[in-house]
Amino acid sequence: MLEWVYRGLRRGRVTTGYPHRDEEPFLGFRGHVDVIGDGPVSESVCPTGAITVQAGDVALDRRRCIMCGECVARYPERFAFHSTYETAEGVVRERRRSVHVRHVDAGSDGAEEWEIQALTNPYYDVQRLGIFFTASPRHADILLVTGGVTEPMREPLLRTWAVMPAPKAVVAVGTDACSGGLSGLPGVGSVLDVDVHVPGSPPSPIAILHGILLAMKGLA
Amino acid sequence: MTMTRLGEGARLVTTHRRGGEPVATYAYRGQLVTVPAPPAPAVPAALPLQGQDVFTLPYGPVRSGVFEAVQFVIETGGEDVSRLSTRLGFKHRGMEARLRGLDADRGAYVAERIAGIASVAYATAYAQAVERALGVEAPPRAQRWRVVYAELERIANHLDVLAKEAETAALAVATARFNIHKENVLRLQAAFTGSRFARGVIVPGGVRADGRVDLDALLRVLDAFDGDLRHDRRMFLATGSQADRLVGTGVLPRELVERFGGVGPVARGSGISTDARHERPYGDYRRLGLEVITEEAGDAMARVLVRFGELSESVRILRQAIDHLRRRNGELRVALPDASGAAYGWAEAPQGEVVVWVELDGGTIADAHFATPDTRNWALFEHAFPSDVLTDFAFIEHSFGLTPAGADR
Repeated sequence: MLEWVYRGLRRGRVTTGYPHRDEEPFLGFRGHVDVIGDGPVSESVCPTGAITVQAGDVALDRRRCIMCGECVARYPERFAFHSTYETAEGVVRERRRSVHVRHVDAGSDGAEEWEIQALTNPYYDVQRLGIFFTASPRHADILLVTGGVTEPMREPLLRTWAVMPAPKAVVAVGTDACSGGLSGLPGVGSVLDVDVHVPGSPPSPIAILHGILLAMKGLA
Repeated sequence: MTMTRLGEGARLVTTHRRGGEPVATYAYRGQLVTVPAPPAPAVPAALPLQGQDVFTLPYGPVRSGVFEAVQFVIETGGEDVSRLSTRLGFKHRGMEARLRGLDADRGAYVAERIAGIASVAYATAYAQAVERALGVEAPPRAQRWRVVYAELERIANHLDVLAKEAETAALAVATARFNIHKENVLRLQAAFTGSRFARGVIVPGGVRADGRVDLDALLRVLDAFDGDLRHDRRMFLATGSQADRLVGTGVLPRELVERFGGVGPVARGSGISTDARHERPYGDYRRLGLEVITEEAGDAMARVLVRFGELSESVRILRQAIDHLRRRNGELRVALPDASGAAYGWAEAPQGEVVVWVELDGGTIADAHFATPDTRNWALFEHAFPSDVLTDFAFIEHSFGLTPAGADR
């Protein structure tokens, strides 16, 4: 057992300084898609219908975006990835108390669960920010929902939410949860009032952490 | 090809409907053979379990921890698991129905979201089905990239299983270490493809782009990982409190796995040498050597050992693939004709073999069917508790490494 301890110590620290310090995103990180410049755009470029064109004005609904990059590839002068980390400024410093998080899978593809689990790995280590995952919804302040809502998960989702004590918040994690995405299911918004949308298919752990921090701000 | 009688060793892969008619597809002597489906046997209703102090424990679909939605119905007298059944279907999204009417290109987005943690395998199986249906083949360089992404995905999945086993045994440092390795692999995948799960890269006809980091970087990461892994493996296996929970836990006899048509590390842990990369080699695996790792014991430890072995094997395959990629440039994608056709495609996902049936009508998908390893192995899960107690549950569950999303579709 002691050998594990030495092995752990020898590796040193890998934990990110986020959100206290600005940090370089890892290579290949896709933050979100920005609409830039001008020129004609066809709505059909987007597989999820996130792009709408009205009288030459191009709008992008981030809740529908799966960040496939088809628009960026086809119209590089109109769309660009915005690949930096954003921080929910000052939340952690303002808020002295910890929050407990409960997760419900309402019909995800399984990748969102991996990215939420990743928050407790040494790279992100959210316990250092006073964020804890809890088994009982009765102890929870924040509900993370992944996936669009399937019929069998509607009731378990509502019951989980009902027994959570106020003040409480809902974070929709992933494009499927935000809008149904490619799954064709209704988004979480059809069942609960969503406080924070975290799009991405799946969103990166940093994006989920950002979403939780924003929800904490709302609770304070 | 249709046959009316199959010999010994035919393994049922899937049953589905083709043009309204039920068909059954078997893996037989390195081929997929399809026959009209025999009538389903009548399954006797399970007898109710009765007795003093026996109770039913419904576990899920909202479980402690961050897990996918699935329910386990545990019938127990308190400690022994007398009977366990799995209730799937909580997250049925109808993904196969979603595929109908889509362009073959766009279909890949849906295919890779059927089981999100095995995106590459599902997209590859789907792409190969479309390619075979239309009579085209992805260029060699594209096939090599598919191997690179698939093996990175396998490494991430196997590390996930190891991290969860270590976490269940409360080995904090081991958990942290396997999670660090896994995060490194996911970041590498992102550096190559822009997605931590390599999404949107594999399309019917090839791949969208070359990997964006240089291959030397991958080699450096692999070398470091290989050394670390060897050390971690030795320590993991030498830690008594870990090994004690895995050895003899959740034993699956070989005959049982054969009868259920088990696949992937679950089957290989029970001594069955089955691996789609070897049985019916596809893509670049036809040119790469592969050793199928098997263990005889059939317990949770055997399944963990298979995964350790496959991690090293994946690293070896990656080195070979990098070597190939370095030596030759070439095309990445061929255009697909707007034709009609139908075919099977398959790939070895980290959970086991996934088989896809695709029917195309003038370039759009008319029908699709996915036979997933999760569906097949889940039937075995209920039988993995012959003499195990409730506290073994998590060890056995993680040793299977299944994802409900793949089973529910």
